[in-house]
Amino acid sequence: MNAERPRPRAFRLDDSGKVVLDEATPARAAPVVEEAPDPYEREAELALTAGDQSEQAVEVAQKQGVAARALFSWGGLFWSATGALVSIGLTLWLTQFIEGLFARNPALGTIGLILLGLALLALLAMAGRELFAVSRQRAIAELHMNLAKAREADDRDAARRLVIELTGLYDKRPDMARARGHLNDLTREIVDGRDLVDIAERALMTPLDEAARREIANASKRVSVVTAISPRALLDVLFVIAQAVRLMRRIAEIYGGRPGLFGLIKLIRSVGAHIAITGGMAVGDSLLQQVLGHGIAAKLSARLGEGVLNGLLTARVGLSAMAVCRPMPFAATPAPGVKDVAPFLFGEKSKD
Amino acid sequence: MSAFSDFALASRIAARSVADYVTGRGLRLGVTGLSRAGKTVFITALIHHLTRAGALAVRAEKNRLPVFRVHAEGRLAKARLEPQPDDAVPRFAYEDHLAALTGGGDAEARHWPESTRRISELRLTLEFERKSGWNPGASELTLDIVDYPGEWLLDLPLLQKSFAQWSRETLEASSAAARAGLAADWRGFNATLDPAGPASEDNARKAAELFTAYLKASKAERYALSTLPPGRFLMPGDLEGSPALTFAPLALQSDEIAPDTLAAMMERRYEAYKRHVVKPFFRDHFARLDRQIVLVDALGALNSGAGAVRDLETAMTGVLGAFRTGRSSFLSTLFRPKIDKILFAATKADHLHHTSHDRLEAILRHLTARAIARAETVGASVDVIAMAAVRATREARVAAGGKDLEAIVGVPLAGETLDGQGFDGRQEAAIFPGELPADPRAVFRGEGLGVAEHEADYRFLRFRPPLARMAEDGQPYPLPHIRLDRALEFLLGDRLS
Repeated sequence: MNAERPRPRAFRLDDSGKVVLDEATPARAAPVVEEAPDPYEREAELALTAGDQSEQAVEVAQKQGVAARALFSWGGLFWSATGALVSIGLTLWLTQFIEGLFARNPALGTIGLILLGLALLALLAMAGRELFAVSRQRAIAELHMNLAKAREADDRDAARRLVIELTGLYDKRPDMARARGHLNDLTREIVDGRDLVDIAERALMTPLDEAARREIANASKRVSVVTAISPRALLDVLFVIAQAVRLMRRIAEIYGGRPGLFGLIKLIRSVGAHIAITGGMAVGDSLLQQVLGHGIAAKLSARLGEGVLNGLLTARVGLSAMAVCRPMPFAATPAPGVKDVAPFLFGEKSKD
Repeated sequence: MSAFSDFALASRIAARSVADYVTGRGLRLGVTGLSRAGKTVFITALIHHLTRAGALAVRAEKNRLPVFRVHAEGRLAKARLEPQPDDAVPRFAYEDHLAALTGGGDAEARHWPESTRRISELRLTLEFERKSGWNPGASELTLDIVDYPGEWLLDLPLLQKSFAQWSRETLEASSAAARAGLAADWRGFNATLDPAGPASEDNARKAAELFTAYLKASKAERYALSTLPPGRFLMPGDLEGSPALTFAPLALQSDEIAPDTLAAMMERRYEAYKRHVVKPFFRDHFARLDRQIVLVDALGALNSGAGAVRDLETAMTGVLGAFRTGRSSFLSTLFRPKIDKILFAATKADHLHHTSHDRLEAILRHLTARAIARAETVGASVDVIAMAAVRATREARVAAGGKDLEAIVGVPLAGETLDGQGFDGRQEAAIFPGELPADPRAVFRGEGLGVAEHEADYRFLRFRPPLARMAEDGQPYPLPHIRLDRALEFLLGDRLS
């Protein structure tokens, strides 16, 4: 048959694993048998890392905050009931107030009524925007989980649907028009599910990741400088908190979310959960170095050391916010570490 | 089959599945496979892994089922064997099969279990922690597994066929180049018979004997043919010699069969075979399955040649047509159970190097393409893997004559030969079995059957079972395997999450 294909061969082995030779074969031409490492263990490991730890951490964090959909909780009941009581009180007071205005002068009453109407209208609009923002945030988080699942299962149909949904998220951004068009074309071609998700990640996420990293770098720079020079401890605590909140909001905006008040609360909860879960993992890599690095800086000056530490913490908050807000998991591009976003804190030259 | 008997069969299946649902949360796992596909070894390995998973001595070891989530996450507390629900069916002799595989204390006595001669059943209960759903916490899943001679499976397609149709098809198949030589005796005798002549018990018996001899010859390892119904002719069980097994196909001129002729007698017996043998087997064991694993020994057919591979394809397509597949809903679980997940597994994957597994999977995919397409259109999920429930070899690289060969190392069974060397069943050997073609269609081309070793591009030897390591408690550790955990995860994973 086909002469190029190697023929089946057999080599008898003795107890020590050497090939048994017959008389015709000279010793120097003896075949050498070399045990190969077990390939199935590697395969099993690969299958396991498909749902790896950091991805699980992100999903748990998302479920606790941005993607939370709890129908009932005691805390929620408490706040709803309290809110209802307060609004009943407020309504009573307003009615009396408007009635008072009318009693004093009908014109004044009319003005009061109109102002009240305007205030209610604005309140409704704000509530609507808030609802929209929260649902959009949840949609992004669900997109993240579904894309992770589709990638893991190499599911082509799901990947196509989700990538179209993903490009829809950014259809108001002129600078991403080209990547969007490219991807929408790809969804009609024959591309494997996993590859499609990876291509989408490279095309859409890279510029956004870049922007998010810049935000984190800037925030952590500001925090470390302000901490180092601020005259009072209370001031820099307030400053760090304000910067962290601002950073989270900016990152959410970069990835397509528009958190309002409630959205921000949910986001903070998710970021907190993510830091709590990944904190343990990070001890192994960068956080330990960070604290050690802080030790050297602290020897030079206590304030400088504090500045470095606060900068690092801000960077970690930013990274967690990035993981939670990103509409797809880090797969084709590696997740950045603290060192990537704030190299200046480690005494290295910034890459930007 | 009349419409009424169809209806009666359907309602009895429904009645049994309602009874199943009421009596417990169970899952019926169908282990399907022609003879020599490795059903018994698969079931034994599955039970061994699961029952030993909770044992202390094994727990200290590294996890042998890493992909099987419920186990990897530590939620599988224990698995225990239980009395099976059907009192009339023998118990699956798990302990005996395990002793055969491990040698039962004498490692030199280890051997593959004998081929299955009768049906048997076993119930395995898994205790695990439910992670999600409306009722998280401790839970149980009972798993019913049936083992049976693979030959019987070939009868399922007969349910849809009349005697005339079956005769025609069998005669046609036996005249094909690949089989003509094997069937010569029987065909010669058959030509002397007159279907319209008077019924004669002598002639019937003689025809059945010769027909059986032809089937047995085709099944021999050298030829490895698969499409050989009726299965009880090969593995009669307790029906040997009964009239239901004394018939043979006839060269009928037309579909009309006059009464009181030889053809009429044969037809009556054929129908009796279907009624008394095939239908009860189908009703009791196949019509109520929830999940199915289809084990296919493609290597045996590949060894024999393209004729055997095509024959295997015909057999698998016929058999799988008898099963009900489709997405199951609550009502359908009760009244018309359907198989919602099918795993096609190319067994004995340890007989070739892991770099060839993709090609083996491609061949299997091609082999079962029709069954896969049908299952997917009705919403069942399908996967194809190369698997070995017990792994008898390890891998090595052999540098010989300036070339690197991807080889496997194991103890070939006594009597196997390759490359001019015989093996005694004791000595280890590094085997390079040859390369499978990159295009799966290549193995279907040609007329080869019983191709001699020196002409074939590949040759897969059989190996002895691996030596079992003993745990401190004197029981053997579960034997190594290839992707058994992936199979378990696919078949049971969603019910254990």
